[in-house]
Amino acid sequence: MIILANGKTTEVSRRSDAADALWVRMDELPGATGWQMKPEGACLGELCVPLPANKREEWIADADDWVWFCYSEFADMIGQQYVHDGDVWSLGSVPAVRSVGLESAIAPDFEVTERNGNTLRLSDLRGHKVVLFTWSSW
Amino acid sequence: MAQDSGGPRATAKWFDRAQPTFRCVIDPTHQISSLFGWVSVPSAAWIDENGRIVRSNEGVYPAPMTIGFGLGKVRLGDDAFALATRDWIERGAESDHVWSHSELAERLKPVDEDTLLAEATFKLALHFEAVGDSDRAWRHFTAAQQLAPDNWNYLRQGWTHKGMTYASLKVLARTNYLRKNTDTSYYDPMGLPGENHHRYIEPEWLWTPAVRRLKQLLRR
Repeated sequence: MIILANGKTTEVSRRSDAADALWVRMDELPGATGWQMKPEGACLGELCVPLPANKREEWIADADDWVWFCYSEFADMIGQQYVHDGDVWSLGSVPAVRSVGLESAIAPDFEVTERNGNTLRLSDLRGHKVVLFTWSSW
Repeated sequence: MAQDSGGPRATAKWFDRAQPTFRCVIDPTHQISSLFGWVSVPSAAWIDENGRIVRSNEGVYPAPMTIGFGLGKVRLGDDAFALATRDWIERGAESDHVWSHSELAERLKPVDEDTLLAEATFKLALHFEAVGDSDRAWRHFTAAQQLAPDNWNYLRQGWTHKGMTYASLKVLARTNYLRKNTDTSYYDPMGLPGENHHRYIEPEWLWTPAVRRLKQLLRR
């Protein structure tokens, strides 16, 4: 199964009895979606969303000798849009992350590949003025 | 930052020709436009030393220019953004062109569900294009374009899936349609002094002395 999120393509395990829902193995969750489970809930960077108490058992389940998280149900709760075609799932932006960005005016961080093959994070450039300029060949 | 699903293959010759002295990155999944809410290129943001966005614009050409050739040659752009950028680099927060927090909030509005779903759908299309599944790529490009019909990035990158000639003709047809039927602009005004804002890109031949004279005569 493949998850497209945050500009990355990640191959993850598939829960054998999953129907039309996106179940992600807990150990693969951070790498594939950016979210990780903490005592306070699901966290993406500094943003943490508590899981509803009445949904914990429904969304976190044992199967295939692993612990799984029902990401599509969680995405519905936080208003994150997603679409899938077969085993490829694509996740849109997290609305709460956008809202935080609007309130703070802090530029959202991202990771891209430089032309020379190096990885560049926007946050690596703190302390410098940055002019971010997009162009395309089309 | 090259925003191009073609990646290094599609962008190399442009980088080579420009001989840039600044850092060059490639964003084949359009993630930066998604994060900054841009729907067209060229777009730009100024980010200060503390990581705060202090301006974000679309249609940021570095100078007046023409592209294409013959009857397809068009004129576009001005140097308003380049001059303002130099001013910001020299004067920082003292620059007149830095946006206040409220100006920024006004420009970077929250997006609706269709826009967010379009983004996920577009990324799905890019994935299938990258793995060579053309039918599914086209189906999802089309779906994303329907969900976010004003997003020129989705329109143009999607049309390019069928070739540059197809994409160019589609751009021409759409701009002609918009010009005749709506007041939708290709780019929002940047709000900078000296900005020569045209709602649409104009063919160069419309500006030749002979055509201008002919238009004057027709108006009489």
